[in-house]
Amino acid sequence: MTRRGREDRPAPAATRRGRTGLGMLVLGLGLGLAGAAAAGRLARSRKHADIHDASLRRTRDGAAILGASVLMDSAMEHFRGGYENRVMYLGPTMAAASVAASLSEPRLHPGGSAARVAHGACLVTGIVGTGFHLWNITRRPGGLSWNNLFYAAPIGAPGALSIAGLLGLATEAMAVRQEDRRTTGRALAALSGLSLLGESAEVALLHFRGAFHNPAMYLPITVPPLAGIVLVALAVRPHAGGQRVTRLLLRIVGGLGVLGTAFHVYGVSRNMGGWSNWRQNALAGPPTPAPISFTGLGLAGLAALDLLDNARDRA
Amino acid sequence: MSDDFSDPYEGYDVLSKWDTPSFNDQTRRVLAARRTPPARRFFTQEEWRTLQALCDRAIPQPERAEPVPIAPWIDADLHADRGTGTRYATMPAARTAWRQGLAAIDAEALVRFGTPFADLAPERQDAILTAVDDESLADPYAWEGLPARRFLRDTALKTIVSIYYVHPQAMSEIGYGGPASPRGYLRLGGDRLDPWEAPQGHWPEDEDR
Amino acid sequence: MTPDVGLASHGAEEAPRATAGRAPDVFSREGWVPMREHCRDEAVDFVIVGAGCGGSVLATKLAEAGHSVVLFDAGPFWRPLSDFASDEREQEKLYWLDERISGGDDPIEFGANNSGRGVGGSTTHFQMVSLRFRPEWFKSRSALGYAVDWPVDWKEMWHYYAEAERAMSISGPISYPWGPKRGRYPYRAHEVNEAGLVLARGAEALGVDWAPTPLATVSAPHGKSPPCVYRGMCKIGCSTNAKQSMLVTYIPRALAAGAEIRDLAMVGHIETGPDGRATGVEYHRDGGWHFQKARNVVVSAYSIETPRLLLNSACGRYPHGLANGNGQVGRHLMVHANHAVWAEFDREIRWYKGPPSMACCEHWNYDDDDPSRDFHGGYSFMSQGPLPSDFAGTLVGSTGAFGMDLRERMARYNRMAGLKIVGETMPQAENRVTLSDETDAFGLPRASVSFSYCDNDRRLYEHSQRFMTRMLEAAGGGNFLESASTAHLMGGCRMGHSPEDSVTDADGRSWEISNLWICDGSLMPTAGGVNPALTIVANAARIGDRMVRLAKRGEV
Ligand SMILES: Cc1cc2nc3c(=O)[nH]c(=O)nc-3n(C[C@H](O)[C@H](O)[C@H](O)COP(=O)(O)OP(=O)(O)OC[C@H]3O[C@@H](n4cnc5c(N)ncnc54)[C@H](O)[C@@H]3O)c2cc1C
Ligand code: SF4
Repeated sequence: MTRRGREDRPAPAATRRGRTGLGMLVLGLGLGLAGAAAAGRLARSRKHADIHDASLRRTRDGAAILGASVLMDSAMEHFRGGYENRVMYLGPTMAAASVAASLSEPRLHPGGSAARVAHGACLVTGIVGTGFHLWNITRRPGGLSWNNLFYAAPIGAPGALSIAGLLGLATEAMAVRQEDRRTTGRALAALSGLSLLGESAEVALLHFRGAFHNPAMYLPITVPPLAGIVLVALAVRPHAGGQRVTRLLLRIVGGLGVLGTAFHVYGVSRNMGGWSNWRQNALAGPPTPAPISFTGLGLAGLAALDLLDNARDRA
Repeated sequence: MSDDFSDPYEGYDVLSKWDTPSFNDQTRRVLAARRTPPARRFFTQEEWRTLQALCDRAIPQPERAEPVPIAPWIDADLHADRGTGTRYATMPAARTAWRQGLAAIDAEALVRFGTPFADLAPERQDAILTAVDDESLADPYAWEGLPARRFLRDTALKTIVSIYYVHPQAMSEIGYGGPASPRGYLRLGGDRLDPWEAPQGHWPEDEDR
Repeated sequence: MTPDVGLASHGAEEAPRATAGRAPDVFSREGWVPMREHCRDEAVDFVIVGAGCGGSVLATKLAEAGHSVVLFDAGPFWRPLSDFASDEREQEKLYWLDERISGGDDPIEFGANNSGRGVGGSTTHFQMVSLRFRPEWFKSRSALGYAVDWPVDWKEMWHYYAEAERAMSISGPISYPWGPKRGRYPYRAHEVNEAGLVLARGAEALGVDWAPTPLATVSAPHGKSPPCVYRGMCKIGCSTNAKQSMLVTYIPRALAAGAEIRDLAMVGHIETGPDGRATGVEYHRDGGWHFQKARNVVVSAYSIETPRLLLNSACGRYPHGLANGNGQVGRHLMVHANHAVWAEFDREIRWYKGPPSMACCEHWNYDDDDPSRDFHGGYSFMSQGPLPSDFAGTLVGSTGAFGMDLRERMARYNRMAGLKIVGETMPQAENRVTLSDETDAFGLPRASVSFSYCDNDRRLYEHSQRFMTRMLEAAGGGNFLESASTAHLMGGCRMGHSPEDSVTDADGRSWEISNLWICDGSLMPTAGGVNPALTIVANAARIGDRMVRLAKRGEV
């Protein structure tokens, strides 16, 4: 008989079972970190006398929410990918760092800080990640085809990490440059506006994959891009007006993040076996951590508006 | 032909998923019923002996103290006259075909080796089955009206494997995922496995590489 | 009358479910939907025999136009969520297991291979590949020089293909490499599994196109259907309702529009009156024979049972069976050659994940000029994912393997991939359905089928095996194994241009009896090199619209 015990078998060339344990650990650590930082943030929260501080706070909250969304989403997606490549740990790890950095108090003077390094690293990781995802897409048969765009590594996802990093860096810059609120406001408006457009583009791709089977799936590809466009317009011509509409749109965008999460939770329950089959459906169904990123971007946009308003008032 | 089976997926058991979302109630019910093979009702004792020997040769299970039962289900299907949808014009109806086929295999054994098929050593049983498949028969009269190869492949072997390979032990030994409803699969790429699938198998030739 | 096959059928095989004003709710585990019922003695507008692709679609169209319809099926009315198990043997209950006698030089295997029995017909266990005909195939004779022309224009069919694809929520690629432009599929193509990527890699290596297969299973939720969970058991019945079979698409629509369905009701005869017109059908249900009066009878029982019923309905006035004055009933039966090449890889493919055919290649349906082409007609081929017992059957059937050799070969299941064709065969008058002297449990003469390939058919499948071997080799496979089989049935009561060489006109109306119609796969004059269900559905939708128009003009 050629049966052999499991013990005296040579280790398989590659057990692609996925290194899921370590992935969970990263996710857990990240969440812990985020939780701790959030608790600290709550403890510190107070009424801000100055609009600049308030916008700063808002932007950082936005960046933190975005980072948390990326943390959960990339932890889950890379779990699906079995953390096959060690680089895949970078996504969730950096996202966790981004959350922590965004929640910590900004430094008021220029010069290196851990938070700044973290934000910068997120920006770079996002760019490198996009490259990796593109490589993953193109190496499959069919190359840059719709099927691969739908089902290979999500092309737009790492970009969100870059945005979180950029937002973080922006707040660091804001903290240092208290005075020139117009410029800061315009920069922030441009950044959040463009980010909204980018996010919507990714949602469009994924909702197209889902055949827009629910009319509500059109919401995140109509309202946020609209808000994005007016934000960019404001960045270009800050005096053009329309602040009130923009503010309303951004509030809706923020609400959509919450509504979207609810829709995605419901979406998972519509898959066979619903939430009791969560090991399949949480990953196969719509990504529950994704929509809240709109809330984060909405906050950043509102902060930009505050700054612009304030600059005008003071002028 | 060696009589050893090296199981590439040793240690994997689809039944370990019994209480998970991979199984639903109706599947549990079907598999639970398969634990108790029905009693013989169709074949005679003599035919039964030949049938069992044939099943043992088709799917030898020397490593198992309790081999997966096959013959009882063939008997049950014929008793119920559960069809397959097809009767080849050159073949008699299923019940007749099985009776005549088993008798003919036995006759072939007697003519060649002077012993009933069930009492032959495995190598000799193999020789009989190979002769039947090649239709190079020592006793062609026993096969009159029954094309030997068609009986062996399309009636006997197809039925035998259709019973063996729906058994959880057989699913496990080939690393098949087994029952999968409501939970199916998430990772469709060849280099990715779901945690509820068999881990990668081990083959002798891979270890040589 | 056929023995119960399933253990988990919840009585569906024992007693009719669609009775007392209600029918099973196929989206529930044990629920019901209301159903309109008709009196047996009052003639309904239409009796339809067979609730598969042809019957379900037609019943929907007619009922939605306000006609009274009774739809019969010999098999059970399943609720997939609670009746379908993950077990190949249990699920044999979906097949037409009653024996047919199969002769000729290349006898066909029935049962699991091509025939369903139950509300929804063969689509409860079809593999969901949903391809359109190549336009020229509707004019095979005049455009391509073989077989016969359809009495239908391709542009009209193109319109109905789109309608069928919408109704079945087909998930297909954004751009399809072959044939004229088509609109967007309602759902996006599924992720291609590894077995499909084998085809893709091979195709790219050989420089031919490939595509994710358009499939009748949803890639996102649709109504009460959840998206496909990639359990890969489509051929033994989809227990999630992701599969867009007739049972979960047209049947609920037909019921909602007021059609009545009678399950476990085997129609044995079509009666004709003194004027030679059909008056209704005699059917067996609940242990006895009954008669349902009708103003029109439509036969939609597929290529074996449709001719069988017409032949079994012979009477004094029609001694050779109904609609058979010209002897065409049962003739020109076609199958698809289903030859395959299987290969072993040095890594795991796990072809059990996902629907069995996630990638396809129609190169040889469209390339007319390749110097290697030595046959008329075409073939497509798809990646494969047979379940273990199914694949073991292929192994022993084509090699005769047994013993440890067989077990060892089966242990390589996860490292196998395969390509299998849907190969067009030529319509031949001698490939036909007749009646045998034997009778079934209802006392009805059994069908006897004779089938032989012609030389062109053989050249076609041999060509395909050479090509698929090359492709698998290019994809890194080795240790090839060839297997021969058939799939799908078509023809047997073909529609045509004239009463001399066909059974019905383009509307499915029999040339001989003006209120006797046929609407199913048996109408197909040619087989084409693609799976037939979508074409049968589209054609039924076309015939349905046509019948409604005729009825409005008082011509039905
Ligand atoms: C395993 C398998 C895989 C397939 N895969 C595909 C695929 O991927 N793509 C594709 O396009 N096609 C596929 N097909 C073929 C497709 O399912 C059929 O071509 C199609 O369903 C035929 O439609 P129909 O209406 O002519 O007959 P059916 O759908 O077979 O319906 C006929 C119905 O009539 C009933 N009936 C018969 N006789 C009587 C009677 N006397 N009284 C009452 N009822 C009766 C039967 O019970 C049956 O339900 C597959 C078929 C099988 C078996
Ligand atoms: S693979 Fe999809 S369509 Fe096939 S049985 Fe599973 S859920 Fe149904």
